[in-house]
Amino acid sequence: MDQQRGRPRGRKQINSLARITAQDAQDAQPAEEQPRAVGRASVSTKCRADGCVAIDQLHQAGALKLLFPRGRPPVEAVMVNTAGGITGGDRFTLDASAGPNSQLTLTTQAAERAYRAQPGQTGRVQTTLTVAEGARLTWVPQETILFQNCDFDRRLRVDLGSDARLLLAEPVVFGRAAMGERLTSARFQDRIDIYRGDRRIYHDAIRVRGDLAAALAGAATGGGLSAPSGAMATLVLAAPDAEATLDWIRAALPSGGTAIGGASLLAPDLLHLRLLAVDSFVLRQSLLPLLDRLTDGGLPRCWRL
Amino acid sequence: MAARMTTDGTLLLMQWLSPAYPVGAFAYSHGLEGAVEAGMVTTGATLSDWLADLLSHGGARSDAQLLACAYRAETQEELAEIDSTARAFCPSAERLRETDLQGAAFCQTTAGIWGDDAGALTYPVAVGHAARRHDIPLELTLQMYLQAFTSNLIAAGQRLLSLGQLEAQQRLAALAPEICETARAALAGDLDDLHGATFAADIASMRHETQYSRIFRS
Repeated sequence: MDQQRGRPRGRKQINSLARITAQDAQDAQPAEEQPRAVGRASVSTKCRADGCVAIDQLHQAGALKLLFPRGRPPVEAVMVNTAGGITGGDRFTLDASAGPNSQLTLTTQAAERAYRAQPGQTGRVQTTLTVAEGARLTWVPQETILFQNCDFDRRLRVDLGSDARLLLAEPVVFGRAAMGERLTSARFQDRIDIYRGDRRIYHDAIRVRGDLAAALAGAATGGGLSAPSGAMATLVLAAPDAEATLDWIRAALPSGGTAIGGASLLAPDLLHLRLLAVDSFVLRQSLLPLLDRLTDGGLPRCWRL
Repeated sequence: MAARMTTDGTLLLMQWLSPAYPVGAFAYSHGLEGAVEAGMVTTGATLSDWLADLLSHGGARSDAQLLACAYRAETQEELAEIDSTARAFCPSAERLRETDLQGAAFCQTTAGIWGDDAGALTYPVAVGHAARRHDIPLELTLQMYLQAFTSNLIAAGQRLLSLGQLEAQQRLAALAPEICETARAALAGDLDDLHGATFAADIASMRHETQYSRIFRS
């Protein structure tokens, strides 16, 4: 029930903190407007003279925190949204940068939730990733779950140096099917741009507005499964050895029933994959083995829970 | 120049977008052959649904947006930016080849007749650019392009499904409102409005690359 009204918990304690950093919180607001959460974090890694990889710079403010679990290969950053989700008007910004020859893995502590927003109030997340020459960045957030009446706009930009390696996976869940939720009114926009040097090598822009359940019931949108698709994942591997992964990835993809996936090589160093599943559990079942192998077993622990 | 002065825009569009214009459109199914194989499209009715999705959320919608942006481009740099966006937006290697090869053939033939050497552009960008050069109204160009796109896939559907000539043309005619709506949306939008949500169509075109038996190149 709580979730119908916004974030389930943790909201009150956080509001005072988040409001201090909200640059636009002083704007004239309609009486009905939900409180805004603002979070900003940046992290960079470097390869030290002794060959060890370490955090170079770290800043965080407001409702976005980064944790660095002990006992994990350096550097693994776990993002925590202390506001407990995203609603209309929220602003989150993350900049992450893997310096030359360093490694950086980013994930989220929990599934991100895009909750109900007031009309016209869009929640925004902007992420910028930079991967220097010889560096490796793994962007594997857990699922983003869209709720009824959400209004969520997300942008991700990646800049790759020569021979930099990027593994990116973005799972999205269109309402919680197990809870009987149907998204009959929602707005979701998701944009990914990947540049190698000056050249944009990948552009994805998803936009769905209104009755998402109906839109995803279409043959060409979410069709082909034994039930309507409730979850989708996009995976991109930009790496000099991307071509070598195509055959085993294809062999590992589900081919219908409760999930179906496809993979294609857009360039010898660029692999693109999409997965559709009836729900988030099946999606994770299909995605996990791929991520495990693509990270050489180094997938963050939260993916196991 | 003489051709530009004396040739009616409607005639030009008819010529460019007719199956006889040598871009090889008949060889591409835009993932439909993969969709039939995967059981996503099984009947004439699901073919209509598939095409309606492509028009509202898929490759037809994004092609229309790219065409409109190319039409409005004022400089070579802008045109090149739109063309590179078109390439970066392709979800699969076959969809990239489909737009790359048809566009290159369109540019080559058009240059051979009217002399506008535009280089090798992706297909919708090439058509948008040519329509602008010949001062053909944009909305008409969009409608005709989308009609040709849809008609080509209806014809592909006839080869892949048990779909008779009459039913095929009935289904094409019934999609006219969607074609006009998509043309209007592209007219109102800009490059930021390039978007898609036809995940199953993306997957179908990816899976088609390894399909055992195939008659189409995409």
